[in-house]
Amino acid sequence: MHNIISAGESAILIYFGDKIDASLPEKIGNFANQLKNTLSDVVIDVIPSYTSLHVSYDLNKISFQAFFDKVEGLLNQQDSNGLVLESKTTHIPVYYGNEVGLDLERLLAEKNLDLNTYVDIHTSQEYLIYAIGFSPVFAFLGEVDERIQAPRLATPRIKIPAGSVGIAESQTAIYPTDSSGGWNIIGRTLLDLSLDNPDNIDKFRVSDKVKFYAVTRDEYIKNGGEL
Amino acid sequence: MSFKVIKSSFLSTVQDYGRLTHGEHGMSQSGVMDEHAYAWANHLLDNHFNKAAVEITFGGLQLESQVDTFIAVTGADLDFRINDKSAQMWHGLQIHKGDVLSWGNPKSGVRAYLAVKGGFDAPVLFDSRSINLRENIGAKLAQGDELSCRSFDTATYRFIPSKYIPNYNQDITLRLLPTYQFNEFSVNQRDLFFNQNYTITNANDRTGCRLSGAPIAIKKERMISEGISYGSVEIATDGLPIILLKDAPSIGGYPKIGTVFSLDLAKLAQRQPNTKLRFELMNMHEAQKKRKKFNEFFEISF
Repeated sequence: MHNIISAGESAILIYFGDKIDASLPEKIGNFANQLKNTLSDVVIDVIPSYTSLHVSYDLNKISFQAFFDKVEGLLNQQDSNGLVLESKTTHIPVYYGNEVGLDLERLLAEKNLDLNTYVDIHTSQEYLIYAIGFSPVFAFLGEVDERIQAPRLATPRIKIPAGSVGIAESQTAIYPTDSSGGWNIIGRTLLDLSLDNPDNIDKFRVSDKVKFYAVTRDEYIKNGGEL
Repeated sequence: MSFKVIKSSFLSTVQDYGRLTHGEHGMSQSGVMDEHAYAWANHLLDNHFNKAAVEITFGGLQLESQVDTFIAVTGADLDFRINDKSAQMWHGLQIHKGDVLSWGNPKSGVRAYLAVKGGFDAPVLFDSRSINLRENIGAKLAQGDELSCRSFDTATYRFIPSKYIPNYNQDITLRLLPTYQFNEFSVNQRDLFFNQNYTITNANDRTGCRLSGAPIAIKKERMISEGISYGSVEIATDGLPIILLKDAPSIGGYPKIGTVFSLDLAKLAQRQPNTKLRFELMNMHEAQKKRKKFNEFFEISF
C-alpha cells in the first residue's frame, strides 16, 4: 500500500509502509530509480528513508496535482518493470578496543559480555542501509542484535572522532567526519569516509549492505591508526 | 582578478541558489537564505540566476577590489560603504581597482548580498558553489582570501521599482502549506499554533529558526525519520516550532505541522531575534502560482 502526501510547494512524500521493515529499503530504492529515469525532466531530487521517499520536483514544469497523478500511476504499475539495482556490500575494517571504543568497557559490563563475543555479534551480520542523513555519507544501518542494543547517551558528546562506529538502539553507523553525537562508540575504522574524497558521496546507498570485520590493535596502528 | 578580504567578519560565505540534487546523499540543500534579495542582486547585473554571491551576515566585512567591474548589493542594510562613503544598495555600481567595500553594523535586516557581474568564480563542490559549514563543505571568508571574478568595462543595468525593496523591520506572517503530519495535529493544537504570536529566538541560524511562545501539548514526540523539505516546521519535544532552513539535515524525526511558502522564508532570513511572527494557512495552488511567477520573472529554471 502506498500513501502520497504533500511535503511543500515542490515536494511530495510517498509512504511505502508505516513500520520499519527490512523489505522496504529495496522497494523504495528501486522506485526512486524508476522515478528518476521515467520522470527525469521534472524530478529534481529523491530522499529515501526507512519507510518513505521524499521527491522534489520542478514546479515550473508540472503542477502538484499532475505530478501526484503521474507518481500514483507509476506506483500502481510498479513491480513488473522496475529497474532493479543490484545490492552491493561494503566491508568495513574496525578496531574494537577501549582506546577508541569510548563506551566499550561500560557496554561490556552492562551486557555481561566479553569483548570477543561482543565483536562476534557486531561483525556476524550484514546490515541493511535504511537511510542516509544527519550528515553526508552517514548511513543508518540495522537491525542490531538485541544482545548489543543500547540507548543513546543522555548527554551527547561534543566531539566524536571521524571513523567512530556507534550503536543507538537497534541501529549502528559510522561517523564519516568529526562531529557531535549521542551514539555509543564501540570502535573505529581507518576507512576515509569524508568528502575530502568526493567519490565517497556514492559510498553508501539505501538498500545496500554493510559488513564490519575486526582488525587487531597492531594492524590498526600499522595502518596509521591513532589511539 | 579578484576581490581580496581585508577584514573578515562573523559570517560571510559564498552561496548560490543551492545544492539541489544531493539530498539522496544526505546533503543539505544549502544556498542563499534570502532568495528574494539574492535574485535581485543577480538580476540587476543581468547575471544568470544561479551565479555565486557573497552572503554577509551581520556585517563586519571589508573587501578590496583588484579588478574593474560592476557589483550590486542587496538585502540587509549593513551600512554598506565604498571607500568609506555611504554607497547605494539595490543598484548596479561600477567598481575600480583599489576600491574598498565595507559593511558595518546592521541598521535593518540580517543578511546582505554582494553580487558581481559574471558571478564569483568559487569552486564547484557537489554541483554547487554554496558553502555549508555544518557539512565541512568549504569555509567562511577569512582575511587574505581572494574571491575570483572577471573584469568588465561596460554593463547594462536593470532597475528595481522601489516598491519591491522590502522593509525588514516589520513583524511577519508566514504562509504555511498543510503538509506532512498537519492532519495528525488536533483542531485544538492547530488553533493554538495559528492564533498566537511567536517570537524569533537567538537560536536562529542557517540550519533553523527556533521560536518561543505557548507550547503545544504533543503526544507523539518522535517518529520514523523522513525526508525534509526546506521550510518545514517541526514541533519539537518541548511543543515549540523550529523552522528548518537551508543547512538543515536532509532527514529528521520530529512531527511537522506544515511547510512555509518559500518566498516567506526569504523574509524570515532578514528578521532579527525578538521579531514577532505568526502563521496563516495557504493552499498549494496559490503557492505554486506565486512561486512560478517569481521563477519566471528571475528566469529561474532547472
